[in-house]
Amino acid sequence: MNVLLVMIPLSLVLLVGAAAAFFWAVDHDQFADMDTPSLLPLDDDPARPP
Amino acid sequence: MTSALASDRRFWQRPQAARHAIRDKGEGVRETMLLLEGVRCAACVPAIERALDAEPGVIGVQVNAAARRARVTWRDGQTSLADLLEALVRAGYRALPLDAAALDDVRRRESHAAMKRLIVAGFGAMQAMMYATVLYFGGHDSLDVATRELFRWLGFLVATPVVFYAARPFFAGAVRSLRARRPGMDVPVALAVGGIYLASVVEALRGGAEVYFESVSMFVFFLLVGRFFEMRARHRAGDLTDALARLTPPYADRRHPDGSLERVAIRELRVGDCVHVAEGGVLPADGVLLGERCVLDEALLSGESAPVARARGDRLVAGSVLLEGPIDLRVVGVGDDTVLAGIAALVGRAQAARPQLAQAGERAASGFVIRVLLLTALTAGAWSFFDPGRAFTAALAVLVVSCPCAFALAVPVAIARALAVLATRGVLVVKPDAIQGLAEATHVVFDKTGTLTDAAFALDRIEIYRETTSGEALRLAAALARESRHPVARAIAATAADGVVEPAADVEAVPGLGVRGTVGGRPLKLGRADFAVGERAAQEYDEEAVLLADETGAIAAFTPTERLRTGARDAIDALGRQGLRVLISSGDAAAKVRAVAARLGVTDWRARQLPADKLAALTELREAGARVIAVGDGVNDAPVLGGADVAVALAEGAELAQATSDIVLAGARLGNLAPARLTARETLDILRQNQRWALCYNLAAIPLAALGFVPPWLAALGMSMSSMVVVLNAMRIGAGVEPRVRARRDRAPRAAVPA
Repeated sequence: MNVLLVMIPLSLVLLVGAAAAFFWAVDHDQFADMDTPSLLPLDDDPARPP
Repeated sequence: MTSALASDRRFWQRPQAARHAIRDKGEGVRETMLLLEGVRCAACVPAIERALDAEPGVIGVQVNAAARRARVTWRDGQTSLADLLEALVRAGYRALPLDAAALDDVRRRESHAAMKRLIVAGFGAMQAMMYATVLYFGGHDSLDVATRELFRWLGFLVATPVVFYAARPFFAGAVRSLRARRPGMDVPVALAVGGIYLASVVEALRGGAEVYFESVSMFVFFLLVGRFFEMRARHRAGDLTDALARLTPPYADRRHPDGSLERVAIRELRVGDCVHVAEGGVLPADGVLLGERCVLDEALLSGESAPVARARGDRLVAGSVLLEGPIDLRVVGVGDDTVLAGIAALVGRAQAARPQLAQAGERAASGFVIRVLLLTALTAGAWSFFDPGRAFTAALAVLVVSCPCAFALAVPVAIARALAVLATRGVLVVKPDAIQGLAEATHVVFDKTGTLTDAAFALDRIEIYRETTSGEALRLAAALARESRHPVARAIAATAADGVVEPAADVEAVPGLGVRGTVGGRPLKLGRADFAVGERAAQEYDEEAVLLADETGAIAAFTPTERLRTGARDAIDALGRQGLRVLISSGDAAAKVRAVAARLGVTDWRARQLPADKLAALTELREAGARVIAVGDGVNDAPVLGGADVAVALAEGAELAQATSDIVLAGARLGNLAPARLTARETLDILRQNQRWALCYNLAAIPLAALGFVPPWLAALGMSMSSMVVVLNAMRIGAGVEPRVRARRDRAPRAAVPA
């Protein structure tokens, strides 16, 4: 059961890390536009004016 | 173009104009939100970003194709708003700076906070569940007290941010609604969350039997998921409705007594000012025409797309598009005094008079929770009488096992799922109540112009009067038609677009009458009969037709017709097959309405209907017990839409109508309405299943818990499982899609991206 002493703090660290990463992403507008980026690769020639 | 650009530039350099559009972020950094015109697809995004990035001093550009907005930040002094707009025009896009209020980010903050709460609750629930598993399945005997305590306090550690951070909206909402003396769903939710959390803390402190940190985290998470999807749907629909930004222009050209023009903001206009409007422009205010005549498209106000001629002294309304001009007008009404604002006020009244669809599910859940709280108190009282040692455990078991999850989630989760499913199919639901209305509707009332028909004209037939082919006549006509903005001319030009058209020379447009010019050395006229062949000969020809003539007489006549919207017939047939009665109500002339109704196979139609008539007819229908869906487009529909059970607007139409509608059909795809109704009915079915399940579960579980047969850990498990059943059942909405609907969806993968 001693492994718990490693696993529990590890789970908490991962939890806080994941939440922090997500907060960063939200604050940097990574979720502001969920539609446009998925269509950008379909643009054949980025240099061409539309 | 160049002069328009220059005056645009001068306008945005004025501090009064810029003050409203630019926000100062401090240290010389400025920010603005631009509404982009001409963004047709995501491929435009890199072009716009490059155009703006190339400007010196630009720090950040963020383009959202779906919302057609760009947020730009730049360093003052190195570039200016006017420079940025010019750079965009060079790249082929017109941009309109939105009021700085659009930057105020109420929505942005709301969505950021919602996402953070969701993730805190999600991670918290996940971890709390993990730790609770140890408590449940670690075995009560094998787990020594120290380990048990450890895992309890770990649960406390992860549940605390969930309760105090993620669940804060519920507590705030409960306090707010209690202050207003109208307790809503937030009250029982807050009570349950707070109660379970406090009870668990007390239990953990005194080393009692059970803690419920995982239950409370899961509960909060599930509720937040429902709210999050609701919010997303609301924002999405809001993106498409930029009511006033596009109805009236932000500025006007004021003419001074000496004849010079000055560009001023709309809010600087006063009654009595003289305003100049260029051809193709939008009238900024109500006014009296000072010139001889002009032709307007008043579709925004009348809902009819036909060009309307106005003569000197006529009153013109703000929001109309000037088809043939230019004109000067004397302002008689600005701001709230315009006809447009009057219509908007009418909309407001229609909406206020509208019975709020009962939030029956929420009320049922609230009532249920109050009863459960009483029952909990009763259980605690009864047990403390018989066996005080078990009172707390039994009371907690009742509170937990009956936790309003299943009831509270039954409605929102089904609605949220339906909103999400519908949004991917081009149907944006603005007011969730509309799903019920849609499912229970018995009648559909369509407006004609702009709803069943396109705003543009199409060529119905071509009559030939000479030894020439219709293709040849069309080519000659198109050469002239290309030089005019008139809707019929555009229809002629569009019909000939695939053929080779010779360029026309010496073109002269005669306002209200037609175009003359030389094509291939031949002098030609295209326009009204009296213009093309002279007053006397004109009587022989159809009044509506457009004539092509040379010096010797008429060559061909083009008869325009309204074009049915693509898929209108299919949409109406599909609604009919679902047992709905379809009606057409239009402000147009009887002959035109009859023709369109016949082509669509609709027998029930009314013509020459004013907005008030339409509203009266709707009220009559509803008093007879019908549930009515109104589908419309123009601003004059707005009061009518507001008076129906469910108001549906097409997203291409006037923005104001969308703002007052319950449902927006994105991309103006009428065909999406019938499948949406099927989804709505499915939603109601599943919602009722969920409620029945919640009722059965609670009826079975609560008595057992009250009698002390359910250990709280089982109660918590039962509560979680019962809400999982509700959530999973709701996910079935939209799973069984008709193949036809899928095909349509493939063509339009994203509702909000303009095609």
